[in-house]
Formats: sequence, structure tokens, C-alpha cells
Amino acid sequence: MATMPILPNMPALDLIKSFKLKTKQQELLIRVSILCLVYILAFITRLFSVLRYESMIHEFDPYFNYRTTLYLTQNGFYDFWNWFDYESWYPLGRIVGGTLYPGLMVTAALIYRILHFLRFAVHIREVCVLTAPFFASNTTLVAYFFGKEIWDTGAGLVAAILIAICPGYISRSVAGSYDNEGVAIFALLFTFYLFVKAVNTGSLAWSLASAFGYFYMVSAWGGYVFIINLIPLYVLVLLITGRYSMRLYVAYNCMYVLGMLLAMQIRFVGFQHVQSGEHMAAMGVFFLLQVFYFLDWVKHMLSDTKLFQAFLRITVTCAVAVGAIALGLGMLSGYISPWTGRFYSLLDPTYAKDHIPIIASVSEHQPTAWSSFMFDFHILLFLFPAGLYFCFKRLSDATIFIVMYGLTSMYFAGVMVRLILVATPAVCLVSAIAVSATVKNLTVLLRSKNKGVQTGSTKGSSSSKASSKALLDQSQPFQKNGAIALLFGAFYLLSKYATHCTWVTSEAYSSPSIVLAARGAHGSRVIFDDYREAYFWLRQNTPPDAKVMSWWDYGYQITAMGNRTVIVDNNTWNNTHIATVGRAMSSYEDEAIEIMRSLDVDYVLVVFGGVTGYSSDDINKFLWMVRIGGGVFPVIKEPDYLVNGEYRVDKGAAPKMLNCLMYKLCYYRFGEMLTEYGKPPGYDRARGVEIGNKDIKLEHLEEAFTTSNWIVRIYKVKPPNNRW
Amino acid sequence: MGNFFIPSLISFFLLLSKAESESESELIADLFALQSESKSGVIHLDDRAVARFLTSPKTPRPYSLLIFFDAVQLRNKPDLRLRQLSQEFALVASSFIANHNSTNPKLFFCDIEFRESQSSFSLFGVVSLPSIYLVGRTTKSLKDDSERMVQGDFTRFTDSLVDFIESRTKLTVGPIHHPPIISRAQTGIILGFLLIWSPFAAKKMLSGETMLHNPRIWLSGAIFIYFFSVSGTMHTVIRKMPMFLMDREDPERLIFFYRGTGMQLGLEGFAAGFLYTIVGLLLAFVTHLLVYVKDPKAQRVAMLFSIFVSFWAVRQVIFLDNWKTGYAIHGFWPSSWN
Repeated sequence: MATMPILPNMPALDLIKSFKLKTKQQELLIRVSILCLVYILAFITRLFSVLRYESMIHEFDPYFNYRTTLYLTQNGFYDFWNWFDYESWYPLGRIVGGTLYPGLMVTAALIYRILHFLRFAVHIREVCVLTAPFFASNTTLVAYFFGKEIWDTGAGLVAAILIAICPGYISRSVAGSYDNEGVAIFALLFTFYLFVKAVNTGSLAWSLASAFGYFYMVSAWGGYVFIINLIPLYVLVLLITGRYSMRLYVAYNCMYVLGMLLAMQIRFVGFQHVQSGEHMAAMGVFFLLQVFYFLDWVKHMLSDTKLFQAFLRITVTCAVAVGAIALGLGMLSGYISPWTGRFYSLLDPTYAKDHIPIIASVSEHQPTAWSSFMFDFHILLFLFPAGLYFCFKRLSDATIFIVMYGLTSMYFAGVMVRLILVATPAVCLVSAIAVSATVKNLTVLLRSKNKGVQTGSTKGSSSSKASSKALLDQSQPFQKNGAIALLFGAFYLLSKYATHCTWVTSEAYSSPSIVLAARGAHGSRVIFDDYREAYFWLRQNTPPDAKVMSWWDYGYQITAMGNRTVIVDNNTWNNTHIATVGRAMSSYEDEAIEIMRSLDVDYVLVVFGGVTGYSSDDINKFLWMVRIGGGVFPVIKEPDYLVNGEYRVDKGAAPKMLNCLMYKLCYYRFGEMLTEYGKPPGYDRARGVEIGNKDIKLEHLEEAFTTSNWIVRIYKVKPPNNRW
Repeated sequence: MGNFFIPSLISFFLLLSKAESESESELIADLFALQSESKSGVIHLDDRAVARFLTSPKTPRPYSLLIFFDAVQLRNKPDLRLRQLSQEFALVASSFIANHNSTNPKLFFCDIEFRESQSSFSLFGVVSLPSIYLVGRTTKSLKDDSERMVQGDFTRFTDSLVDFIESRTKLTVGPIHHPPIISRAQTGIILGFLLIWSPFAAKKMLSGETMLHNPRIWLSGAIFIYFFSVSGTMHTVIRKMPMFLMDREDPERLIFFYRGTGMQLGLEGFAAGFLYTIVGLLLAFVTHLLVYVKDPKAQRVAMLFSIFVSFWAVRQVIFLDNWKTGYAIHGFWPSSWN
């Protein structure tokens, strides 16, 4: 507020009062309009992909989500809940209702119903495409309220703006990326906000709300494990640093007990909250809180401190011993399951690489290099330490929470690229604190007239003001200029952040990856729509009960778009089955045909980038097939496919490599083809080499279809000869 | 002349055979001496030793050698894991020697270094590393008869090396004596330290002024975690990336920065993480600590200094990132000005 001259007469006082109200109203107006603009901005910045390509579902997993949502809207909730899908994981099938997080589908179906109730006759696909941007917009609102809760309204506004366009979040929430993360980040931040609010107020209503937020999160994404471990950790830190309070007790107990009961209603999660090792920290902290409360009560009742000390010692020892024994017994009897591989690989990151190739093979599970942080956070990365410092300067229960959230998620982001997504809200909030506090200090400096100059934080200025008033008065013009310059610099940097975010969104994160785009020789955009071409071919030209074998990446797409049965898909629940496919792909043709016959395979689909230079094709994924296959079937040995530890496809390649099924299917007839001017026939543009085996003969398979750019190739398994 | 010639020839042959039979026991004694000289029991061979122990004595030799082929200049290549393999090799060697202290089965563990014994490498026909050859008692041609450990067995090296030895030599290796993570002396020191420290800790804990109650400790921990994460240390740990690479053409030159997304070297990450951290810390310093400085001149100087450093750090990061990834991330000014 501007300092007003104090006038002695009454009417002037009235005037001041009315004026003050007016500034408040003005401020409110500005705040609401900023929020509205941010809300719209968050939505429209995610529409690049719709504008550039068309309204379609992206990538791999979203196709499964889309297929299940379609099923849900067509057959109703109970059919969806009891759905046994026999079109995937042939011949095993998949119990869909019990093996998915239904939050996303139910949300989309609900939006669809509401729109239809309001007489907007939209197709379910449009709803699915726009669900993620819609929830990203909602996230900005939550970020505003969260920022307001931990710092002030200014920080809230800045946080909303930052998160609206932060590339780390956009990467998973552009239009068409219809995946669990789209709604889950909203649910995550919302739960945290409600919990912090509950801790700040100690009100049952807020903690009840946070329990429901947690329920929504559990229903939407497996990442809920992060919440159920971070919140106990936070409570534990508060206990250790002597910040135990009744508010904390109410908030955590209500949230934990109710949240746990609600989460058990999700079939995929079931009784994990009381049975799995990942959830035991929460339970331990729950009991610890009871012990704390009990001790507090006894201390209140006992007046003798010595007696209390003795009592304290006995209770703590007993509680720890009982807890340890219970945990040990649970583990031994198998009632409490040990940590799962994914969780374990977060704590000991080298674990996955050695033990679970199926996790290590996914590109988004790779550890993060420093440049990815720069790409996804830009200046937020520089502001984060400053924000941390600001938080520590004004420690409260809320700032402790955001610091802990920021640091744990930062660590996890370093372990896996995809977890940058989880860290993004925290980074935005902490950086928003830095930006808002700095800008606030600078503007205070600018607006203060010849009265005492305020530099830096309000806390620091009070002491320095008194001691060096005379000096500060002299340096005032300089300081003002300096402040203006700094403000200008800050805004310039923020505008650069906006430029960067828009550019990253448009260039890197808006491609559907099912339709590929490349720059042509004259700078024009060339579109490769081979995937859909192949899937529609499957849908139109194969018998409805045909079984298609491909690497698991394409399973969801084949079932959703091709409407054919697949052997394995992106829900990698059965490692042996995937390893069988990996084994078939890496064996010689006559060995592979046995495996394929045993699985009733009719068609084999491979993805090949040698003509277009598309690098994430099956040849580049092949080593993982070998690794995963070799993990179950020791006849497959990785060194057989390598030459001196090097992976090659040209003349110097390993003989087993040159004759395995995958190589043959990818390079069949490729040796006759000229791909690039001035290069020999059979020049692979993705790997930049001339292939080593140009004369490929197929015995048990025949080419059925190859798309226009050779990206997808489909082979038919020949029926066995009837005589020989 | 003839008279003289025949006896001298006979005596020469006698001498030769005697020398040979003498040298057999001598060789074994020498091998044992060499083995006891080395700390882990791995004998270091060079071209001369190979000639002496392997090529010149007649088969069957009274001993067999298990040879690990090493190259110092390739030790920094993470995918070869030479350093780790040689350590495990030494571990198996020392365990074997300890288990067969009294019986002495005349199997010796040796290593050869590429730089100093290139002719031995060609003698064995070693073209790729890591390589382990077993030269048995009857092995005549080192290239064709000696048995090579299969490349695929290097994944679980200790176990497969034991299997290899046991299957080829019909000897039992016995239990592997892994060195304890903390030696006995260290445990003693740590225990003593804990004992001395515990009364102080207990006293402090009761009065509520432990390190855990000091926000400064938490702050530095927080900054450290931040630095640790953004510098991609987890990447270095998981992928076992080295801190820097040696240039293949020019071993004197070191490569600190790796070009290409999704890969990084250790020091490169630390440099970037340092640049990230310093800007934020300077901002915090300017807004929270500089205001306590009384002298305006000092304030100005510090301010200008931090502005300059921040400018430089951001520019450096953007430059590095553009160089590394090929993406043109926006810097301070429009990219057309560069």
C-alpha cells in the first residue's frame, strides 16, 4: 500500500477509507483478470499439436486410455470395471478393470456426460484430446492458491504464470497426450495444497478435503506413492525439528486414515496400504504421532519432570521395539511385501540397470543429464536456489513443506527423466517465491519516497536502517536507478523464459509421435503418416481374429487403431511373455517360427526407419529385445549380436545379427533400394551405413504390407505346408 | 679337432639338459617369489617373463598360468570395465592363494600390460579386451592351444572366473575372501569416536540445540541436494560415466565436455550444476546479506560483481547447452544478434 499523508479532519479520513477499499478492489480485479488470462494461456499454449497436425491422440499409452474410455462411455461403468480384455496379451488376456488406474477415464467420461447434458454433441475423442490442457489450466489455479498459502498472493500469481508455460509440465500435458499424468499432476498439487492448508489451520474440513484429493490422485496415477511417502517424511521432519503441534496431529491423522480407506476402494491398489513395504513409512509415522500425542498428554498430567523423563525413556524404547518387531514379523511372514522394483530403483538407482531391463529399457526412465534440466526449467533453475534461501529465511510449516517437496522431487528427477514432471510444480513454486520476493523488494524501494529507504527483505532493513540512515540517504538516487535496472532485468529474463517455453512447446513437445514430421530439402514440412496407414491396413485387410506380434511398444496402438489382437503391449505386466517375443525376434527364422506357431501369430509387424532416417525404430531397440529375451531365456546371449562390444548392422556385424528374424524382417528387399543419392543401394539412413546382408530370403513368412515410407512393415506367417 | 668336438658337444647337451631340469624347479621358485612379492598375488609379466616362463620351457610345463590382459590407456573406458575386472581378478587370485596355502597346485595368476608387452599380445593373438587366457601345462602354441574365457562371462565376473578355473583346471578355488567394507582399525576408530561423541550429543539433544534444529545445516543440505540433482550426478552414478575422457588420438589431451543429448561426463555436469547454483545463491546474497553491509561503496561493488557473475554464468550455460544439444536455447538477446 502507498503511504498516505495523515490528515487531521474527519472527511479526509473517510476519503482515505473509501480509497483504501478501492485499491483493494482494484487489486482484486487485477488479480482475477491475471488469473483468467493465465488460465486461458495454459490451455491455448498446449494446442500447438492440434493446430499443426489434427485433433488426435498421441504416443503409445494414451491409445490404451482412449480405448478404455471409449469402452466406458459405450458400456457403462460396471462393464468397464469387470472388463476382461481378450484382445491383448494373447493367449493370456488382461483383467483391465483390476489393472488400471481408472481416474483419468472416469474423469473424461464425466466431462463427456456433462457436455452432452449441456447439449454439446462432441465426440469422446475431442474430450480425451483436450482433457490434459483443461487440467493444466486447473493446475495453475491450484498453484496460485498454493503460492498464496506458503508465501503471499504475489508469489501465488507468479507461480501460476510460471507453471502455466513451464516446459517440464507441458511435455506431458499437450493436447492429445491423454495420459494419467495429465490429471495426476493436478491431483498431486491439489492434495499437497489441501494438506498444507490443513496443517496451517488444523481444521478437520481441510484435512478431509486433502484425503479426498489423495483418493483422486490414487485413482489416477501410480505416482501417488510419492505423496504417501513425502507427507510422512514431512511430518517426521517437523517432529524432529520440534515443530509438533495439534494442527499437525489433526491434519495427518485424518488425511492418513481416511485417505487409506478411500484408496483401498481402487481395485488396482487394494490392500497395499497395509501390506506393501512402500506404504509402511506412512503407517510408522502414524503410530509415532500417536506416541507423541500420548507423551504430550502424560507430560500434561505429570507434574514431576524426573518421573516424566523415566516414563519417556520407557515408552520410546517400547514403541520402537514393538514397531520393529511388527515390521520384522510382517516381512518374515510375507504379509508385508518388500519394495517393488520401480520403487527400489528410485532409492538405489543402479538397481534397475542390473536387475530389471524392462524398466531400464524405457527411454523416459533414463537418468537425467544436466542439459535436460536446462531445457525443461530454463531460468527457474537459476531461481530455485534463491527461492530455497528465501524459504529458509522465513521458515514456517508451509515453507518447510515446499522445500522438502522441491528437494525430494529434484532428486527423483535426477534419477529418471520423466520425474522432471513431478518436480515441475515445486520448482515453479520455489522460483515464484524468489521472483515475487525480489520484485516486491525492488518495488518497495522504488515507491518509498524520501522516508527511510527499505532495501532487501523487510526483516533485514529494520536493523540496517537505523544504523546507516545517513549513508543510505546519500546513495538513494543510485539505489533507485539500480532498482529500476534490476526490475527491468528481471522482467526481461521472465520474458525470455516465456519465449523459451513457447519455442520448446512448439518445437519439441507438440509432436504426436504417431505422425512424424521432418524438414524437407527445401525447408518445407514433410509428414509421415505411416503408422496410421499400417494400422488401418490391418483393420481393413486382416481377419478380425488375427493375432499380431510386434514389440510391446506398438501393442496399445495396434489394439486401439487396428482393432486386432496383440501378443504383448505397453502394460508390461508379464515379463516372460515379452521375453518370448524378444526371443522370437532375435532367433533365426526357423527357430522363431516355432515360437510364433505356439503363440498362434498370424502377422508380424516391425518398425523400420532405414528409408526415412527415423531413429527410434526396431533395429535401434533391438538390443533391448535381446537383453529382455536373454533375461528369461539364457540361449539368447547379448555378445552374440555384438562385435567387440559394438552394435553394428553393416558388413562387419555379427553373423547372428545378420540372420536373426528382426534383421531379416526390417531389411527384406532393402538391399535393392536406393535411399540416398550418391550412396550404394541398401544404405540405411537411420544408422548411416550400408547394410551387411542384402540378399534376404524369407522361408516361413511373406511380406504382406509395407507403408509408403517403409516405416511399418507387416509380414504374414505362412501356414505350414500340407505335405513334404 | 674331431676328438675335441664330440665330447664338447656331449658336455654341451648335458649342460643344456641339466640347465633345463634345474630351471624347472628354479622357474617355479621364481614364480613363487614373484607371487609373494606382489600384494594381491598377481604376477606382472612382460615380454621377457613370457619368453622365460612360457615360450622357452618345454611342454608339459610344471605349472599353468592364468593371464589377464590389461591396457592402462583403456582403463578409463567405462564399457570395458578393465579397472573393476582387474580388481576382481586380484581378489580371486588372493583368495585362491589363501585357500591353497599348503597344497600349492602350481596355478599362477598373472597380468600383462599392453604398452610394455605388445609382442606378447600378438603372441596370444589378443585383439580385444578384456581377455583372459589359461595357459595349461600342455599348451604348446600360445595362440591356438591356450583357452580363452568367453566374452559373455564378464558380466558376473568373479563367479564366472571361478567357474572357468574350476572347469578347466579341475582345481577348486574355494571361498572368495571379499575384503570387508570397513577395516577393523577403522571400525575401532569409528566406535571410539561415537563413544566420545555420544554424551555431548545426548546433552545437546535434550536441550534441543542439535544440528537438526539449526536451519543453516538444513539450508546447506538443501543446496547440496539441488546441486547434486541438477548436475546430473545420478546420471554419472547410474551410467558409471567417467569424470572426463582421454582423447583417443592424443592421450595427453582430456575431454571434459561431451557433445550430444542424453549423455554427459561427470565434471561437465558439476560445472553446469555449479553455474546453476551460483546465480541463485548470488541473488539470495544480494537481497538478504548485502543489505547488512554498511559501506555503500562496498555494496555497489558487490552488486556489480554479482550482476557480472550472474550474467556470465547464464551466458555460459546457454552457450554450453546450445553447443551440447544443438537446440538454440534463447539467451539474453535475440538469436539473430549472435
